Amino acid sequence: MEYLLHLLILITIYIMLAQSLSLIAGFAGMISLAHAGFFGIGAYTTAILSVNYHFPFLITLPVGMVICGIIAILISTIAIRTVDDYFIICTIGIQIVIFSIMNNWMSLTNGPLGISGIQPINIFGLNLSNKLPFLLLSIIFTLAIYMFLRFIIKSGFGRVLKAISEDEIYTQSIGKNVYLSKVTAFAISAMIAAIPGVLYAHYISYIDPTSFTVDESIFILSIVIIGGMRNLMGILIAAAFLVLLPEALRFIGLPNLIAANLRQIIYGIILIVVIFKSDTIGFTIVTKE
Amino acid sequence: MTFLQILINIIYTSCIVILLSYSFAISYYPVKFFNITFAAIISTGAYLTYLLFRQLNIILWIAIPIATFLSAFIGVLFNIFIYRPLNKKKASSLLMLLVSLGIYIILQNCISLLWGDEIRSLQIANVKIGHEIFGAFITNVQIITISVSLTLFMLTIYFLEYNKIGKCIRAVSTNKELASIQGINSERVILWTIGIGSCLAAVAGILVATENGLTPTMGFNLLLSGVIAMIIGGVGSNCGLIGGSILLASAQQLTAYYMDSKWVDAVAYLILIMFLIWRPLGISGKRLKKIEI
Repeated sequence: MEYLLHLLILITIYIMLAQSLSLIAGFAGMISLAHAGFFGIGAYTTAILSVNYHFPFLITLPVGMVICGIIAILISTIAIRTVDDYFIICTIGIQIVIFSIMNNWMSLTNGPLGISGIQPINIFGLNLSNKLPFLLLSIIFTLAIYMFLRFIIKSGFGRVLKAISEDEIYTQSIGKNVYLSKVTAFAISAMIAAIPGVLYAHYISYIDPTSFTVDESIFILSIVIIGGMRNLMGILIAAAFLVLLPEALRFIGLPNLIAANLRQIIYGIILIVVIFKSDTIGFTIVTKE
Repeated sequence: MTFLQILINIIYTSCIVILLSYSFAISYYPVKFFNITFAAIISTGAYLTYLLFRQLNIILWIAIPIATFLSAFIGVLFNIFIYRPLNKKKASSLLMLLVSLGIYIILQNCISLLWGDEIRSLQIANVKIGHEIFGAFITNVQIITISVSLTLFMLTIYFLEYNKIGKCIRAVSTNKELASIQGINSERVILWTIGIGSCLAAVAGILVATENGLTPTMGFNLLLSGVIAMIIGGVGSNCGLIGGSILLASAQQLTAYYMDSKWVDAVAYLILIMFLIWRPLGISGKRLKKIEI
């Protein structure tokens, strides 16, 4: 039962990450592979504040989000000068720089050893160290993020983003500030990605850089692609499927190590199949002029 | 003589980066998408050599060509069954990149399923202290690496300049439609570029493996350093490519010497990012597509 709750919590964390990525990858057409980096920045901010200064969750959450947002704005003003495949290469670069910092800046992040002893969440005397209340909290956050993203997408800003993904120059020609909209979208997305980071750090209570590698970014992107770039509900199902897949493989008796590799192989295959059938997921970047 | 030692290291690294970035560039020009599968081809070449040489005890000089051609064959197969149909569907370069990422994940995990995640060593000779030149040391492996990569690079350039297929490759790289009008089968030419590129990539992987050992994920960082060298050199220029490789290698070696070798990856990307801001066309200044609309 405990284990099932653990899996459900992981699923909610990945849903939040994938949905935040969907805002820029699906709606604004900027496919980013730096999302695990922002996830990590949220987690590390929490870890450092919580372990060194004993800050509670209600402070680490906004601080983590703000720091993530500031870094995202700095990064995006550079990265957004490139588009499409160059943007992906650029974001891989950003991801690797963020990872190197986490892995090598010993005095701040304790390097590969990671940071342990992060306090569990404690809101108004309510201790959430148990899994069930934590799951409820993360479900509340997932729902809030879902509603917020829906609100953004339905708003005028969301329509500008969609227009940018279809035709950037045209959007500019009707007087929309493309650059500013992209930076804003990138920052919002990174700030949302910090939320699961904060939750994850408080939940696991120990973090190290290996949770925030390029592979993790690729995994988050796969969830978004498999779920449907602009389909927030589809992402929900894809996240559940991809997180439960290794468990299913272990359930049928495969050893741990093989299951981990097999899971990656399976999601690689699904990724390719989905892209091959990409007319079914309403993917606007399928055709080139 | 630390200066000379750094210089030797820079030359050694540049040669590998030149080979890597050329292997990537040659197949990038005609298809115009970032083929991440090459990262897996690099590791495949190294692991196949390991399989043939270490596990099946085949002589090294036979094992290396077999491994190289097998990896090229894998690259070509993926091109026929995945990229060609996608290209027919007029998929965007972004989509092709994502597919190649998927293939990279599959191949890389197949390798770690077969050989495990731990570092393996592919030492081809006993560890020796190396030759001394004015107080600096260079090992046999490094000499072999430098000469092999420069020879292959020259040979490929010669092939592209004077061979008929090479000329076709250049024609398709410059303008695919125009080449088709002249009766060049562009699909077949693309296969040639993938084949040659995969061969070079596999050789680069084997060379690196003899010095640093093998891991299933070794290809990703190697490929990305090749891509960075190509972008900062300026896409489409051989001299720019060499310049970019030397610049990248110097930056990496100087970082490793004056700061710490753990910052090498970060510095490589910082250089890329700085180039994208201030010199988006690279050293050579040739037109890089799709940047700054």
